[in-house]
Amino acid sequence: MLEPVMFTGGVYKHDLVIELVEDLGGYVLQKNVSQSEIILLLLVPSEDMPALQALIKELRGELVRAPLAGTEVAVVTPTLAIHHLPHTACDIAEYLRRNGAKSNMIGLARGVGREIAQINEYEAALINEHDAAVFIFGNFAECIRKKESLYRNISVPVVVTGGPEIPKSDLPYAFEYVPSVGRIAHRARKATEIGTLDMTIEAVGRALDRTRADISKDPLTTSPPRVMDAVREQVPEVEYSYSPLPIALNLSGVRVKLPYEGYKDAVKAVRFDEGVTLGEIATVKPSRMKDYILVRILPASETGFVF
Amino acid sequence: MDPMEVFKIEVTGDEEFGTKKYRELIMDILQDLGLIRSIGRLYVYIDIKKPVFAVYGLLRTGIPPLRVGDVGDVLKSESGYQIKVNDEEHMADLLKVLWTNYGRERVEQPSRDVLIIASDNSPAQLVVADLEAEFRQDLTDALIRIAPEGFRNRRNEMTKDSFFFIAAEESLSEELISNIRENIRRMENA
Repeated sequence: MLEPVMFTGGVYKHDLVIELVEDLGGYVLQKNVSQSEIILLLLVPSEDMPALQALIKELRGELVRAPLAGTEVAVVTPTLAIHHLPHTACDIAEYLRRNGAKSNMIGLARGVGREIAQINEYEAALINEHDAAVFIFGNFAECIRKKESLYRNISVPVVVTGGPEIPKSDLPYAFEYVPSVGRIAHRARKATEIGTLDMTIEAVGRALDRTRADISKDPLTTSPPRVMDAVREQVPEVEYSYSPLPIALNLSGVRVKLPYEGYKDAVKAVRFDEGVTLGEIATVKPSRMKDYILVRILPASETGFVF
Repeated sequence: MDPMEVFKIEVTGDEEFGTKKYRELIMDILQDLGLIRSIGRLYVYIDIKKPVFAVYGLLRTGIPPLRVGDVGDVLKSESGYQIKVNDEEHMADLLKVLWTNYGRERVEQPSRDVLIIASDNSPAQLVVADLEAEFRQDLTDALIRIAPEGFRNRRNEMTKDSFFFIAAEESLSEELISNIRENIRRMENA
């Protein structure tokens, strides 16, 4: 089984880490260089972990488990105004990132208020492209109950955060409810506040586990990291994409950050060693995010094989 | 401890948590904008069922306008007056005032914090900035920030020593406003 981990260390000799991970049959999901520091998100076979740990000890780096690696989580606020940002939303997004997830902030166009809050079809479809969503609500129980309409039609698991304690039975459409967050006008710094961030991350972890369990009932034809590797190799233009993460991983596919019209055929034509092309084992469609390419790997029940 | 003499907040329904949090939130925002010392009493009334948000506050006595003598030392010199600026925050306003009063050719700035004016009239009593107007602007900004975001129908009444702010999702009717005034009066007298 592949274990998601995060390596933090110096840029010097970090290529040894990448080389070892590739030799072991693992994947480099993300590489972030900031000055002389580097952060690598890796998937490593769990039985080979000691080999990697030994190398990292030698390089004086740090290796921690990143349970959310390889997933994309939407952090949704009613708008992008000062009332909801930056404190709570940024704290949660940052915490998701530290645990390895790729977090995207989404501010709804008309999510404000109690009676007038609404979400449109485009926003819902964009959120549905993620693996899970965190909805950030305020301090009044009445409003949190009322705003259920915002996430009722979201098909990915939704973790709702808010201020007061509300029994889960009051929010049937939420996957989980995390209290003690709410609207705050300062950064999370007290131990209790950091604790609630941890609780949010745990809830997202459970939500993703449920999606993983759902997928395992009808496994994907191939794993998303493998698709990522093949696309990176055979569509070299993706490396010139200006995005910090040119290929974003989801639990059920990848998002390739190249213009759809120009590169959809190149992505469909990506060939695996087994002889099949990506177009045969996955649907390649336009993403709701800019004009990127969304690849959704078909399950074994549709293609008839797994590799 | 609250720096204000009175700070009451009332929320209808079973919203104990919201009440406590809104208190923290208001303090945070007022502190951020440096307004907390200028507000003496504050009454906040929130009705979540309607929904409506209202604040009534009494201000501490007016802030005097900032004069040239307050931002620097004014000295008489041979050719006129010299100002040694101590508080650079209002430098732009200060220059603008001097230019309009004496004309650009009579105001000289030999170094960053020294101004020389070629005139026999002392500039010490000229008004540099109306701090009260700035304060009002900041206060309105704070109130808009504090009010829940969807509440786009607002009314803000400011007098010399008090302010009354009300925000709601639906349009504000006379009946609603008088109802809220009554509730705030009740809070005041409680």
